[in-house]
Amino acid sequence: MVKKIERDRIQDIAAALMEKGTLYAPVEDEEGVNFHPVDDAARVTLDFYNTVQGPKCAFFPQSDELVRYRMTHEGPEAVEVLPDESPQILFGVRPCDVRSLAIMDELFCGGGVVDPYWKNRRDNTTIIAYAFDIVDPVDFYGSFDIGAAEETGADILMVGVGGEFLLDARTEKGTALLAALDGFDDAAEGDKKRFAAAVKKAGALETRRIDTDGVDRDLMDIFDSDFWQREAAPCLNCGVCTFVCPTCHCFDINDETLFGEGRRVKTWDSCMFTDFTLHASGHNPRTKKNQRLRQRVNHKFSYYVTNFDVISCVGCGRCTRFCPVNIDIAGVVERARKRAASERTE
Amino acid sequence: MKNPYMPMPVTIETIITEVDTDDIKTFRVVFDHEEDAAAFQYLPGQFAEMSLYGTGESPIGIASSPTDDGYLEFTVQKAGMVTSNLHDSDEGRTIGLRGPLGNTWPLEYLEGKNVVVVGGGFAFTTLRSLTRYMLNDGNRQRFKKITVIYGARTPGLLIYKDELAAWEKRDDVDTHITVDQGDDTWQGREGFVPTICTEVAPSSDNAVAVICGPPIMIRFTLPVFFDLGFSKENIYTSLEMRMKCGFGKCGRCNVGSKYVCKDGPVFSLAELDDLTPEY
Repeated sequence: MVKKIERDRIQDIAAALMEKGTLYAPVEDEEGVNFHPVDDAARVTLDFYNTVQGPKCAFFPQSDELVRYRMTHEGPEAVEVLPDESPQILFGVRPCDVRSLAIMDELFCGGGVVDPYWKNRRDNTTIIAYAFDIVDPVDFYGSFDIGAAEETGADILMVGVGGEFLLDARTEKGTALLAALDGFDDAAEGDKKRFAAAVKKAGALETRRIDTDGVDRDLMDIFDSDFWQREAAPCLNCGVCTFVCPTCHCFDINDETLFGEGRRVKTWDSCMFTDFTLHASGHNPRTKKNQRLRQRVNHKFSYYVTNFDVISCVGCGRCTRFCPVNIDIAGVVERARKRAASERTE
Repeated sequence: MKNPYMPMPVTIETIITEVDTDDIKTFRVVFDHEEDAAAFQYLPGQFAEMSLYGTGESPIGIASSPTDDGYLEFTVQKAGMVTSNLHDSDEGRTIGLRGPLGNTWPLEYLEGKNVVVVGGGFAFTTLRSLTRYMLNDGNRQRFKKITVIYGARTPGLLIYKDELAAWEKRDDVDTHITVDQGDDTWQGREGFVPTICTEVAPSSDNAVAVICGPPIMIRFTLPVFFDLGFSKENIYTSLEMRMKCGFGKCGRCNVGSKYVCKDGPVFSLAELDDLTPEY
């Protein structure tokens, strides 16, 4: 079922979606464009290449309440903050970012214990993907067989064609949502062809590619190499790579108390920070920045592969784009592989 | 779906100050709700997150044995914010508990074998759980000879003193207690743990060594056991790491692809050899 709407009526789409649940959509903020829960449809924009941060905030907010508590003379009174089960719509996600959610599912829903905060939101969210129509040179999602108009993981795929957006459902959930939206024109036969042509055209877009076959073993081979000192030399440990990353999932658990009342929150954390692994004893297994950069790259390209059989990177290019000292993870991986190969021949 | 982040309320029943420096205390806790007690099925080697609202959580090894009915014990060194707050507790305080977490000492593998338990200083808590478990009447015949070698810097720093004295009187466990330096009242052995291990020289025949202690003790004790013929497959230890969630999601306690919270804390030396040297 293809539906269409004029580009300048984007706020009408947003308003219609807001009636169906909490809408997470791209909104201009002080950083650029980012996903936010929308309370004003007029603020929703599709005028961006990609959002500054990945879309993980719709399932794993930067600060997520787990428990609310109150101190009393008899001890603390704690109330569980139940994981949200209300319907959500995530609108305008680029295809590589859609893939990131399936990668995060492996961690949050697998490995024995299920994280109910992530899973409930995932189960209750309808995803509207938004195809790329150009390629930024830092992106490398093609390395992971993700197309610019990839539909895997999306409930609805949206493409911009001329003065219009065309939307086509890809799952039952997507079909149900699309059918229930008012104010959209049903597409004519010609529009379906335009949709298919736009998807095909986007599919032909090529990002740069890195060869990832066997990268997990290569990274283990050079674990002790001085390679990492050189690669990490410019790193400032600012952590921006981990905060904009759609697949970085590390978090802290903190208690915030004021006047005897408080909340326990799960907050984003970063392996780039030295206190991330600091023991109470003072011991710290990762005191050096080369150890921390190695951890981030190895986690994504080796440890995650060992544990979940998938690379925890979608080639969205954000960490490269926002790194203040131009560390490019794709380049790091390529050089690591060359180093591993040269050590093998020595 | 059970919420793994939600602590269960427990009440501190008794607090025992273990050492003369006052910075190691054992907390005996009981569950406030029977269903929580029933759900908390653990084995020696596992740990739990002790949870203090307003301060935070800290992963602590379980020092009691599952054969101890109706309570749990945690021996805690005062180190950071949570453990300091815990040390300031009075008996009767309600705190939170999440767990049991992590894997266990290799109990099935230990069955029918001689077990050598080696501990140093404060790192004797889950070893105490294991020893209590093996010495329990219902379990004792599952294990062959049990040897315990335990040391601390001074007599005042030995933990579980009464229990050690009781083990020394038993004839079904070979107990060797040592201190680096004795005092006027100390009648027992003096010497570092590795030295005592050399003197005791437990046979490696059908035997497994389970070793916990400060890194310096481990470093000098391992060669003793290699010389006695213990293979890396037959030496086990338990790792510590900074943790938050305790079930492999928060990402900070990894050693290579393994998470100490869920793949450990117990590892054999052979398993550790396969990991990255980052702990």
